[in-house]
Amino acid sequence: MTHAIEVENLTKYYDKFLAVDHINFAVEQGEIFGFLGPNGAGKTTTQRMLTTLLTPTEGRIMINGHDLSHDSYPAKRRIGLVPEESNVYTELTAWDNLMFTASLYRVPRGERAKRAQELLEIFGLWDKRDIKAENFSKGMRRRLSIAMAIIHKPSLLFLDEPTPGLDAQSIRAIWELIRKMNAEGTTVFITTHQIEEANQLCGRVAIISHGKIAAIDTPERLKADFRRAQSVEVALDGEVAGKGAGLESLLGVTTHVKVGDKMRLYTEDPSALIPRVVQYAESNHLRIISLNTLSPSLEDVFLEITGGQLGAVSKEEEKPAKRGVGGRK
Amino acid sequence: MNIERIKDELAQAWTVAVKDVRVYYLRPGMIMFGFLMPFFMFFSFSVKRDVGAAEGVARLLAMAVFFTAGAAGPFIIPTERKIGTYDRLLAAPMSLLTLLLGKTAVGAFFAVAVSGVSLLAGLLFFGAEVIQPGLLAAGILLAAFSFSTLGLAFGSMPTTNPGDVQMPSTLLRWGLLFISGVFIPLSEMSPVARAIAYLSPLTYAQDVMNHAVLGSGLLNPWLDLSMLALSGLLFLFPSVKMHQRARVLGR
Repeated sequence: MTHAIEVENLTKYYDKFLAVDHINFAVEQGEIFGFLGPNGAGKTTTQRMLTTLLTPTEGRIMINGHDLSHDSYPAKRRIGLVPEESNVYTELTAWDNLMFTASLYRVPRGERAKRAQELLEIFGLWDKRDIKAENFSKGMRRRLSIAMAIIHKPSLLFLDEPTPGLDAQSIRAIWELIRKMNAEGTTVFITTHQIEEANQLCGRVAIISHGKIAAIDTPERLKADFRRAQSVEVALDGEVAGKGAGLESLLGVTTHVKVGDKMRLYTEDPSALIPRVVQYAESNHLRIISLNTLSPSLEDVFLEITGGQLGAVSKEEEKPAKRGVGGRK
Repeated sequence: MNIERIKDELAQAWTVAVKDVRVYYLRPGMIMFGFLMPFFMFFSFSVKRDVGAAEGVARLLAMAVFFTAGAAGPFIIPTERKIGTYDRLLAAPMSLLTLLLGKTAVGAFFAVAVSGVSLLAGLLFFGAEVIQPGLLAAGILLAAFSFSTLGLAFGSMPTTNPGDVQMPSTLLRWGLLFISGVFIPLSEMSPVARAIAYLSPLTYAQDVMNHAVLGSGLLNPWLDLSMLALSGLLFLFPSVKMHQRARVLGR
């Protein structure tokens, strides 16, 4: 079976700036594939090349077996694109936006209205079908933008940063839709810098940094490969001024970060570190409120790979999988 | 390319054109540069001058088509690039030429509509007559095509700011207006001025309007029509090249 996407030696220079550096990867049919990276890593540039919006400097892109450099038409017919900005026509109603896109993608005339109604109902916009998109909220425009991208039932859907700035309800609705489409056979390629989004949705993730693919695997295998990013999280009770001071210098701690009233100690060997933490608490007359071992989060892996500091970004974004039992006293 | 694909591409060009008509025709930029400009220019250069009704109508028609057809491209494409909707069109399964054809049609429709209003005003209020209606229709259509692709060439510049495009395009159009035979008939020009006038497609549009409305022109009307068609096709080349360039630059 041909790959949904196959990229060989893909490279993009903007003048002398190397934005994408000879990358190679393949996406299987039916996958949800995450393209994860910090801002400026080359994610959007790559996606724009995959969707014919940008000409590569070098390399080859195959979409569903069609080489984009000379056979893009059949590939484009089966692609759906949701760009970072919700590019709906604000002067048109939701209905007219969908009918325009249906006509542009040559959805058979008899199916257009049925398909548009179906999508407007799925996205909760049916009651607002005759309202111009300029009166829509950001979340509504996003949903309309996605509906426009899938009205022709693409076999390969590209989403560029699908959820930033949306409320939790809209994010959940979009994630559900992506899962549903995938279950029905659509291959999904998501470009995101939101780690939790990739963790929740993607079967495989490629992490791109400085234009190069630094890692590519399932989220769980990526986490397992990064033993350095395992940690012990401890909350102590005692004299407020001194509590936790000195934990970071315990043997085996590679780095540490304060997370609320807890201290997270990164280590390659949590089982060896735990007795040292307990001993430290006892010798300093501190009570252990909770003690947990944490497997590496995708965020930890991401930061390790992209050169960020462990624990340096929002702790609310991802809840690492807890292995231990808290509340030890 | 098979018949089905050609039918699809034509339908897509039509879809793009109809969408643009609905979205952009009433935008201030289109009204200012496309609708009001030719009338301002016409009255500026015709009021209190010894211009007969037929001559005035022929001149107004040429200017209306010239300014109106060329207004769409420089306004619509950079605006769409700016708000991101142009990517939707570029990513759609249609050739670049189909997209450009759709965009050309937008300016051309606008020009045909505004010149129709101008013609009606000329017939009703100034008592002008059309000697060769068929030639007039062909002249308006081909001039609309030529000037629309000229506007498209500017609109295809890789920028997201309509202002970057509208100023140079307006300047060029004024330049073409002044060197052409709109205000000074070709027959009254010096040989050098006439040679320069032949470089402007507006010269051929004005000459064909003169044939159709006044019943006489300096050049063969078939030559006028051919030059308008040829210039329209030629102006598509820079548009194609600049779109390809934009894809390389990522704009």
